[in-house]
Amino acid sequence: MTATSDINRTVLPARVLRGPRRWLHAYLMMMRFDLRGLGQWLVIGVIVQTLMGAGAAVMYGFYLGDVPEMVAVFIATGVPALGLIPMGFVMVPNMVGQQRIAGTYDFLWSLPVPRVAAAASTFTVFTSMALPGFVTSLGVAVWYYGIDLQVSWLILPAVLLTALMCASVGFGIAHAIENPVVINFIANMIIFFVLLFSPIIVPMDQFPDWLASVHRALPFYHMAQAIRDGLTTGFVTNVATSYGVLGAWTVAGWAATAWVVGRRD
Amino acid sequence: MTTAEVLARPGSPVRRGIRHWIASFVVMTRWELGSLRMLLPLVVAIQIVIGGGFALGVGLLFENIPTRNALYLSTGVAVVTLITVGFVLGPQLVANHKMAGTYDFMWSLPVPRTSQAASWVAVNGVIAIPGMVAALLIADWRYDLPLSLSPSILPAVLLTIVAATMIGYAFAHAIKKPMITQLITQLLIFVILGFAPINFPPENLPGWLADLNLWLPFYHMAVVMRDGLTESLVTRVGRSYLVLTTYTMASVALAAWVVGRRE
Repeated sequence: MTATSDINRTVLPARVLRGPRRWLHAYLMMMRFDLRGLGQWLVIGVIVQTLMGAGAAVMYGFYLGDVPEMVAVFIATGVPALGLIPMGFVMVPNMVGQQRIAGTYDFLWSLPVPRVAAAASTFTVFTSMALPGFVTSLGVAVWYYGIDLQVSWLILPAVLLTALMCASVGFGIAHAIENPVVINFIANMIIFFVLLFSPIIVPMDQFPDWLASVHRALPFYHMAQAIRDGLTTGFVTNVATSYGVLGAWTVAGWAATAWVVGRRD
Repeated sequence: MTTAEVLARPGSPVRRGIRHWIASFVVMTRWELGSLRMLLPLVVAIQIVIGGGFALGVGLLFENIPTRNALYLSTGVAVVTLITVGFVLGPQLVANHKMAGTYDFMWSLPVPRTSQAASWVAVNGVIAIPGMVAALLIADWRYDLPLSLSPSILPAVLLTIVAATMIGYAFAHAIKKPMITQLITQLLIFVILGFAPINFPPENLPGWLADLNLWLPFYHMAVVMRDGLTESLVTRVGRSYLVLTTYTMASVALAAWVVGRRE
């Protein structure tokens, strides 16, 4: 460790590279780095995500047995939203956890790229990985339940903001907590509670009041609202609030990440 | 001190017989419980949370859950708690042994390998049963179910645990790479939860899928458990016991083949 810092001190003529072109270059390089680092997990991740999305779209119907159109619309618009969560809340923290175990975590931050470019590349990679599953689960649900959706351009900002929010919060958790085992445990618990206790694929009225109030502050209900608003008309009101809450969580994730990666040990 | 009793001196004859087997079983059960130690209460607690959470959470999907659905759900959750331990936790712990390098050491211990497998089933039971009971109690409290316990719950629980544990055991030992075992078992859990009529009646599935499930063990685990927990919810229980026994024996045979072979 000391040897490395000595080398850095002597070799570098201490001219820090800056500017948008430099940033863009660093961003692209880090993206290649991330893609290569994921390797086969990239493919496995996308396949698993896609299969699970398609499976989930159908299986909620099995649980309910009888699915009226209104319920089907909720399932069809909720399952794709649900599918965005594991990518950000499980895969991102696990990736960081593995970097810590493998000892590459400190190395990554020592690379001569702006830290924001490194973080932005991770967000981009994981958001793109989530998209095939999103589209597949939506397609399967529409076909299986035979419903019509009114897709508007609002779906684009909704999906992007949601995926960004998940990756940001996952990133924040992963950097703020040092023990990979604890991260993994928290990620799994989040998934468990989100899958079972979130008003994502069912209307919030079915929830007890106290749980509904909790969900007004958490991001999961608002993800579903924003995405449903882009896919239907007349189902969602107050979508601006949802965008606001999602934005706030995204910023919180960034703040946690920035605080951790910006500090010196 | 116990280890010293079991360890054979060089040149001493291989010990056999039922008493030696039982002694080995007890020692190995203590060994497994001891190596879980701090993890054990945590895992049991997680099982309780998962079981109870599942019973409550799925109910939220319904606007008003009909009693029949609630009955299917809560008896199904009891099965799910048993399956997850056998399928996910077991392979996970074997994977940990492989990664930590203690896997080969375990097989070098001077105990019959069947007693090791049996102690594994016992440990799985210790972990799984509290979660199962909690799930049923929570579901009963929440949905006010017409449950009626019959003595056949005992063989049902036992056979379900043995079948699930041995299938997971066979997977864990047959597949070399721990990562692949984990991936397979996790996908399996997802498929089981979604596409086997455990938490919902089989008529909710398309006909072909319901037929397919007759050939797989999961639906039958649910049938024998429902038979022990309710009245007149299931029929043709004998067939289910038969299918489960067949699967258990097949996985025992596979596991025996894998752990008995020399590299």
